[in-house]
Amino acid sequence: MKYTILLKQHIGAPCAACVKAGDKVERGMLIAEPTGLGAAIHSPFDGKVAEITETAIIIDAENAEPKEDKFIPLTGSDDMELLKAAGLVGMGGAGFPTAVKVNVDLKGGYILVNAAECEPLLEHNIGQLETDAPKIIEGVKILKKLCNAKEGVFAIKAKHKKAVDILAKLCEKEDGIRIHLLPDIYPMGEERAVVREVLGKLLSPTDLPSVADSVVINVETVQRVAEAVLNKRPVITKNVSVAGKLKGGTHTRVFYDVPIGTTVGELIERAGGIDGEYGEIVMGGPFTGKPTTLDAPITKTTGGIIVTKPFEDLKGAKMGLLLCACGGNEERMRDIAKKMNATVECVQKCKQAQDIKGTLKCENPGNCPGQAQKCMNIKKAGCTEILIGNCSDCTNTVMGSAPKLGLNVHHQTDTIFDTVGKERMRYLTTSKTVPQLGEEPEVTVTSSESGCEYTVTQDVEDGLLHIDIKEGKNIEIELPLFL
Amino acid sequence: MAISEEYAKEHAKSPAVLCCRAEKGVVLTCHNLEDPAIFDDLVDSGLLNLDGVLTIEQVIGATLQDTYDSLTPLTPDKIDAIQEVKEEKEEAPKAEPKAAAPAASFSAPVVGGTLKISIGEGKDIHVSMPLVSGGNGGAATATIPSEGGAPVATVNAEPKLLRTLTRHHYKITEVKRGPETKIEGTTLYIREGIEKDAIASQELVYDLKIDIITPAEYHTYSETIMDVQPIACKEKGSELGSGITRVLDGVIMMVTGTDANGVQIGEFGSSEGILDENIMWNRPGAPDKGEIFIKTQVTIKEGTNMERPGPLAAHSATDVITQEIREALKKLDDESLIVDKETFEQYRRPGKKKVVIVKEIMGQGAMHDNLLLPQEPVGVLGARPNVDLGNVPVVVSPLEVLDGCIHALTCIGPASKEMSRHYWREPLVLETLYDPDVDLVGVVLVGSPQINAEKFYVSRRVGMTCEALEVDGAFVTTEGFGNNHIDFASHIEQIGMRGIPVVGLSFCAKQGALVVGNKYMVSMVDNNKSEGGIENEVLANNTLCHEDAVRALCMLKARMFGQEVKAAERKWNPAVKDSNIELISNVTGKPIERVPNETSLPMSQKRKEKYS
Repeated sequence: MKYTILLKQHIGAPCAACVKAGDKVERGMLIAEPTGLGAAIHSPFDGKVAEITETAIIIDAENAEPKEDKFIPLTGSDDMELLKAAGLVGMGGAGFPTAVKVNVDLKGGYILVNAAECEPLLEHNIGQLETDAPKIIEGVKILKKLCNAKEGVFAIKAKHKKAVDILAKLCEKEDGIRIHLLPDIYPMGEERAVVREVLGKLLSPTDLPSVADSVVINVETVQRVAEAVLNKRPVITKNVSVAGKLKGGTHTRVFYDVPIGTTVGELIERAGGIDGEYGEIVMGGPFTGKPTTLDAPITKTTGGIIVTKPFEDLKGAKMGLLLCACGGNEERMRDIAKKMNATVECVQKCKQAQDIKGTLKCENPGNCPGQAQKCMNIKKAGCTEILIGNCSDCTNTVMGSAPKLGLNVHHQTDTIFDTVGKERMRYLTTSKTVPQLGEEPEVTVTSSESGCEYTVTQDVEDGLLHIDIKEGKNIEIELPLFL
Repeated sequence: MAISEEYAKEHAKSPAVLCCRAEKGVVLTCHNLEDPAIFDDLVDSGLLNLDGVLTIEQVIGATLQDTYDSLTPLTPDKIDAIQEVKEEKEEAPKAEPKAAAPAASFSAPVVGGTLKISIGEGKDIHVSMPLVSGGNGGAATATIPSEGGAPVATVNAEPKLLRTLTRHHYKITEVKRGPETKIEGTTLYIREGIEKDAIASQELVYDLKIDIITPAEYHTYSETIMDVQPIACKEKGSELGSGITRVLDGVIMMVTGTDANGVQIGEFGSSEGILDENIMWNRPGAPDKGEIFIKTQVTIKEGTNMERPGPLAAHSATDVITQEIREALKKLDDESLIVDKETFEQYRRPGKKKVVIVKEIMGQGAMHDNLLLPQEPVGVLGARPNVDLGNVPVVVSPLEVLDGCIHALTCIGPASKEMSRHYWREPLVLETLYDPDVDLVGVVLVGSPQINAEKFYVSRRVGMTCEALEVDGAFVTTEGFGNNHIDFASHIEQIGMRGIPVVGLSFCAKQGALVVGNKYMVSMVDNNKSEGGIENEVLANNTLCHEDAVRALCMLKARMFGQEVKAAERKWNPAVKDSNIELISNVTGKPIERVPNETSLPMSQKRKEKYS
């Protein structure tokens, strides 16, 4: 079996191969080194180098799926050297070389573990927390020491009750590691949204989290940090969620430790195979993912593979695009419009979307600046359809005006959500704030009779506060408005 | 969209509407509020009902009582308390200099100008004066009592005559062809074969035909009308804009043409067709009914109609003929042929409100060009194309405008473009020049470049020019509509941001509705005359006329004297013009005669098909 290991799986310059065709390779062996900003690449397979192309090393593997996790261990005298040697990159999808990111003195600041897993359908991050939390805690401790941080904070959505419970128990035993609960809103996992939610600081689109004395790092990356330092294990596998139009159901299957280089097609086969006709295969999540092909290789940043049902045919209807930082870029939006057989007549950009070096960044992720004007502009351009990729809040705002203007609203996640039977992104019904663990609202209940019994409970799952009162007359309940 | 703090302050009295979903308990800030600028559209679209809505200043700082979605108008029931509005009271300025100075001079203009008090020396001086009132005609009076002798006060408000321009009118009743170009009595002869010289003068001109159109021939077909020009020349020793100009009455030059493929030298719309169905008679820029047209029909090289050299060649070739007539006109030495003498005087009126007229003229290239300051009225020789001057502002005297300092190469948007003749009879220049209440400092001509960056380049120069002129008010006029409205708006902004009241004049109505706007565009006069509010391709129909000039002048005066001009209605409503004209007539006691529009003309086939 031949596997393609891309030379560029990270932000920065492509790596240079340090093996040549015909060389024998072993799992964990260094096969490519960074030439500038980058991260080392190791062979995920035992086998032989078949070919070296401009963009990849092709390995003829002896086994597609190694039976045991055997690898050539990393060498390095300290934690930082091991991190560098391991070829770690941001596995949440950004792919920024981790050794560069964590080479910072946070002066008693924060390691913010991004466990938001904000992209719908992806489940491997939460899965890891449910199954492998102790290792991740170890990773946080390593990073705290390395970056001189006083606190490690898990930013996780309150709805993941099981993972939160497991983490909470572990955190109790640790000094300086805590949990910050996030509401179930897209895009809570955006780097600056995490900083804002946890630390209360809104960074500008050009700021790095270090401005707020923090580093934001994905759960899986933290786990791989622990593996690199404690097990001397290089990055040779990736956790991937696979979902969509698959035989056996559209639910998400999580594959842990998929060898890098495995093809999208193979992974889909392992998940059951495509079920009949399909629209597209997306690599990544519904919001930020991009169309891919069956022969594309899994990389260090692949998080999801989603097979969609065929697209709705709009029969050439005039469509307006509302670009923003949350969804796909213009190219991706136009791609979706084309796949829906719509003609793009108008392109609008959210007021908060700033163009930073060719990428749109949101000034205040998840907090809508209003979209009525954009909708009207699209309407005025003669469109009947509007395609958005907005966050929960902005989508809700679009729904406040577009339908009344006679625009049919399409969200870029629609086809994917339809495929898996998930309710389309439309209205926002949950609160943007959730109570934190141990945060008891001051509630007083009085009644004209003495001894009125009541209980107050908060449910992190539904984000509601429940007050149960046994009995009473003329009951008055008082609670603060800010909940 | 959410608004900024500064913007919220500017729109403190505007309705408060949530821009997005806001949750219960939120303390409202500007970030929760939608931009009031889009409310009209929202109301029109049925998205918004502003009944009972609070204002922005009433809700900022209030706590939201429940979770509400985007576009929710904030009414008293939705917030905890209406916020108190702090009124900022400004103390009235006091002018009470107490010093010793028996010798004082002050100038008190009649209406609202600047009052200047200079006190050399004095004791216990007490100056008291009425607060400036905005009314027209009320004179400010000031008394300066002083101990030790009577104060010497001089009022220096004598108008100052800068220059004069006199037109000598020669009547022409007949135009004939003959062996030489000459004027005999009231007959103008044009040399036979002059066409050859005209064609030979321009490489790009393939053919040129001359038609003498008398009123009997008005009902004939013509290619698109590229220009209408007075036939005039300077007398020896006179320069353009002053001295004596000789002009022929009863006859005009008319440039028409196509390229060799028969494509009209026009862009979006052209006025080709039966002449009397496509000319709005007696507009400042149009022929007057009864006049004879010397009409050239120029054929230029194929494909050059949309490039600069093509239209210029058509004009230059025509000017070969006009120039020969000018030479003949110069030769006349028979005083008895002068049927009328008309003198224009350019006064500066110190102490009066200083006013400038900024005329935006086309400068995109091709037929959108203007030859500025030729030697002869509306000539070619000596002139510089506006485009070559970079379209930057050029200051001219009002008399230069009236003496044909602009040779206009405009022919598209026939209804709203200003022909060369328009400037010869520019109503706003005339009206302002002769208004004793204002001091017209000059006319600024600014081109409208094609590229936006260049538009802002020139508009910034306009702003600086007005700043340097220290004017109290400005007019900005434009011709055409659409693209040029971008710089039109920017000119107004650049002047307005310097604290100078601006009145804008343009064809807008329905089809020419402004594509851009800014907060300084609050006093606008619409040049539209068409029934439907459209560019109806009838020559000069929607150009600036006397009735527009009068309204603009009144509006600017009102602005300069601190009176408010009511906000425009959202949609074009011809009744606004009617009521403004009525208001002005009521105050001045002079009826304002309205010009007719296209409905007074026979209906052309084109209009029938396209516009009815």
